[in-house]
Amino acid sequence: MSQPSAHDVVIIGGGVTGAGVARDLSLRGLSVLLLEKGDYGAGTSGASSWMIHGGPRYLEFDWDTTRLSTRDAGYIVTIARNIVYRVAFVIPVMPHDKNNIERMETAMEVYDRFQPLKKSHSHVRLTTEEALEIEPGLTHDMVGAVTMEEWGVDPHRLVFANVQDAVAHGARALNHTRVTDLLKDGGAVIGVRYRTADGATSEARARVVVNAAGPWVPEVCGLAGTRVELRPAKGIHIVYPHRISNFAISCESIDGRDLLMVSHAGFTLLGTTDDDFYGDLDSVDVLADEVDYLLQGFERVFPSIRRYRPVRTTAGVRPTLFKWRSNEDELSRRYEIFDHASEGVEGFVTIAGGKLSMYRLMAEQTADAVCRKLGHQGRSATATQPLPGSERDMEPAEELAKRCRITALAAVKLQSRHGSDAEKILDDDRAGRVVCRCEPTLEAELAYAARHEQVRGLPDAFRRVGLAAGPCAGAACVIRASEVVGRELGWSASQRLEAARDFIRGSWLGRAPVLGQSGWAQEELTQGALRGLMS
Amino acid sequence: MGRADSLVKLAWAYGVHQTKRRVARVRSQKQLLLDTYAADGLKPLTAAEQQRHVEMIGCINCGLCALAAGRIGRTRLPDVAASYLRLYARLGDAAEDVAGELPDVEAAAAACPVGVPLPEVAALVRRLAAG
Repeated sequence: MSQPSAHDVVIIGGGVTGAGVARDLSLRGLSVLLLEKGDYGAGTSGASSWMIHGGPRYLEFDWDTTRLSTRDAGYIVTIARNIVYRVAFVIPVMPHDKNNIERMETAMEVYDRFQPLKKSHSHVRLTTEEALEIEPGLTHDMVGAVTMEEWGVDPHRLVFANVQDAVAHGARALNHTRVTDLLKDGGAVIGVRYRTADGATSEARARVVVNAAGPWVPEVCGLAGTRVELRPAKGIHIVYPHRISNFAISCESIDGRDLLMVSHAGFTLLGTTDDDFYGDLDSVDVLADEVDYLLQGFERVFPSIRRYRPVRTTAGVRPTLFKWRSNEDELSRRYEIFDHASEGVEGFVTIAGGKLSMYRLMAEQTADAVCRKLGHQGRSATATQPLPGSERDMEPAEELAKRCRITALAAVKLQSRHGSDAEKILDDDRAGRVVCRCEPTLEAELAYAARHEQVRGLPDAFRRVGLAAGPCAGAACVIRASEVVGRELGWSASQRLEAARDFIRGSWLGRAPVLGQSGWAQEELTQGALRGLMS
Repeated sequence: MGRADSLVKLAWAYGVHQTKRRVARVRSQKQLLLDTYAADGLKPLTAAEQQRHVEMIGCINCGLCALAAGRIGRTRLPDVAASYLRLYARLGDAAEDVAGELPDVEAAAAACPVGVPLPEVAALVRRLAAG
């Protein structure tokens, strides 16, 4: 074992909150070590709805939460301006919905008061005919519709932008590094013992250890001999590899919950469920019942939904704070910061609960708690300091494309992930070669991710550059991608083949629940066509 | 307390809303909506396009169309038509990619194993790209 490193703060968990805390503390001048047992954003953050929203649901419970949430969404939209995009919702109101059209519009009128805080537009109201003109896939049975605007973001890139900025300000960040134990001195936590991706064990001393492990918070608390109780809630999404509707659509499920079909840049997320979860957090399966629940809710307002071919599902577990009685998902995204000194465990702070849209505020308040413990005077700068790729305006995609001799389509996609940093990724003679045509992903971007963005396997490449995120789900690109990543990481030929095989095998877990009859037929066609082309 | 306060304020807002609906003339807001989101590239499909939408986005990216049209390996229509449709809101930024003469999309469509109507896709992509 090597000599222990020394830091002001060690953060356990590289989801959006942990990455946000690492960034905040680094910007305040503290030395930080961030440890993530899998890949950054691979847990709850990556399984989100890809939304930065203001929380209109909270209007029924607490307007201050809406104000707080909206204002913080505004900060995120500002600091990540080049990687966020507007998501305009149409909310069709059906005859027996819990809220009639007047109540729904009233809620939107109230929400409009908060919308300027996050640079969003006000709602409009549409008749049934008008709603059908702008969104022809909707049912004719609706009474009318209202619109609402939120923001979309790729959570994988948002998490990684926070990690990148933390590292740029002196932090050290390691993915695929598992904390195996906490170092203690009497009752106090004084550091961590961890195992890196290559199997080496090391120790790091810290004045404060932050537990930002999301749904794994209780497990990490157990290492410290303390306790935070969660009520984990599972949420799944169905992923369609295309944009199904012009606008995002919100509707009611059979049990009155709000469902969303969110049209992102090139794909559609349909979700989400919200069920108590008691299983293994490292193996969250999607059930056919959950898929049916979502489809049933949606086909009422979008009758052709079952004709579209989903490509996979996502599943995540929310780190919901514990509360006994029926789960009111309206307020279940609350968060709390625990300083365990009150239980006799010094040097250990936990952040639990919350949601993607409020990650920056959660990180700021956690960093404040850490600074108080350390007697550090630095103030948070994360509300105004742009994230990497959002420091300056992007050049028009067509100009970037011409200069770097790539298609404008590839330039647009590159900018959507890297913002104004897109150009530096193209500083490579392989720039124009396309690895994944569905996205498209350029060979240069993939190689860059392997070299500079801690990609250690193909699933990491999926998160970093959207590899295999499109209609073919990897069938057409994974072998080539494995070659590119393997060359950068020094994999042998058999390691490259194994990596490709593992990726396809792993992705089946998320694909099987949504491959209906036509899905399986198309899958066979793809594989067959590829075999034909390659032979 | 927070909840009671919120419900009272919502009830007041509801009363104000109902009064406004009774007093003010109701005007269509559809054009306002379309103008608002034109800059973000949110252009509605027509009803006819929506009818064929499932088929149009059925591409499984097997690449056979590109082979049939003699354009394999090039990131243009028709071989990555599906990718351009996926781009959607920013198609205007990639208009140059899809300008100029089309290769033989009929032949490409004939080779498609899942029946994507490539001439229609090409027309839609160009319409959306043109703004």
